[in-house]
Amino acid sequence: MDGVHDLGGKQGFGRIDRDHENDPYHGDHDARAYGLSVSLRAERPYPIDWFRHVRELIDPIDYLTRPYFDSWLQTSLALAIDRGVLDMAEVTGHKAPGPNAGDAKPLTPEDVRKIVVTPPNFERPTDVAPGFSVGGTVITAAQGHSGHTRLPAYARNTKGVIHAHHGAHPLPDAEARGEDVIEHLYTVEFRAADLFPEVTNSDVIYLDLWESYLAAA
Amino acid sequence: MSSFDPHKITEIHRHLHSHLPPEPALRVKAIESLLVEKGLVDPKAVDTWIEAYTEDIGPKRGAQIVARAWLDADFKALLMKDATAAVNDMGLQGQATGHLHAVENTDAVHNLVVCTLCSCYPFGILGMAPAWYKAAEYRARSVRDPRGVLTEFGVSLSDNVAVKVWDSTAELRYMVVPQRPAGTDGWDQEALAKLVTRNSMIGTDRDLSKGVA
Repeated sequence: MDGVHDLGGKQGFGRIDRDHENDPYHGDHDARAYGLSVSLRAERPYPIDWFRHVRELIDPIDYLTRPYFDSWLQTSLALAIDRGVLDMAEVTGHKAPGPNAGDAKPLTPEDVRKIVVTPPNFERPTDVAPGFSVGGTVITAAQGHSGHTRLPAYARNTKGVIHAHHGAHPLPDAEARGEDVIEHLYTVEFRAADLFPEVTNSDVIYLDLWESYLAAA
Repeated sequence: MSSFDPHKITEIHRHLHSHLPPEPALRVKAIESLLVEKGLVDPKAVDTWIEAYTEDIGPKRGAQIVARAWLDADFKALLMKDATAAVNDMGLQGQATGHLHAVENTDAVHNLVVCTLCSCYPFGILGMAPAWYKAAEYRARSVRDPRGVLTEFGVSLSDNVAVKVWDSTAELRYMVVPQRPAGTDGWDQEALAKLVTRNSMIGTDRDLSKGVA
């Protein structure tokens, strides 16, 4: 979707604020917001790309101005309300919190200690042959769509070269609709000068893109 | 069941915006009280998440990986070919290391990592991302003006050093392997690891010789 989250190449942003650069969290409440957000979603009752899309749907002003983990917490909360484990009236204080009617027991500290050392594997088997090979020239889709996607707007309708193939991964656009579609995933190399009109050097940008974002060129 | 309905979500966000306290600290407190009272969250699990990334998991892990690669050619070859396997070999696997890729700086190449669409980051080896990595300024500018961004971080590159920017748009995560500074012959892994800054593994730092003297 053409949301404010799609920040790559947007202009008018100033100096990068490097205050608190070495604090792992940015204040106690942001650490708490992080821990609460991941406690609420860590069992992953929905795909990661639905989480990402729900975060993208935060009001644009809030998205750009609120503390980072605050936006994660609001996302986790919205997802809990959406799937019915929490009632909006309980959040707004119009109703006393009822018992946990959900299926999920809250995560324990032992669960958390396990999760932080267990990386999920997103690669999935497929019988479909990859449509592109390393070194091949491709062109990205000219337009986006109103749902979740991982083709940033700045990289639309641009020629690039396949740099690497990573097997097949779930397509984020479909995952965020609750559908399971598996596609080949590639790293594609673009000339910065093909992406941005003012660039005159030979710098390059790499993006990880799914097969349906690309066509042979 | 999740609805997968963006319009419903937009409405939920609108309600949350109107009904929760506008001040961030108060908002987080109100949410924690509710989630704990409802039995959806164990506050001890929240503590455990925070402690894991304060005490155990942080950029020292990435620094050990880089230092070992500087010393051990076979390990470096594995790291460049399959960084996930290299991380597993060191027993440092964690969140977001399942599809890890290492990219190497040389005299002719400088690498910079960003996630323009959200804030993807290799938590498991670098810990929590710094605030600037998640900020709109860095996400917007580092693909369009990476050399300007690098200058702000004190990295000045001559025109004959090519910049490669890695925008983390999938579940792949990137770590930069910075160059080993001169004057470190005979140093052991522990001493070398101390030279490796978190920013050098993101790409906003390049010359690590400042720690040698």
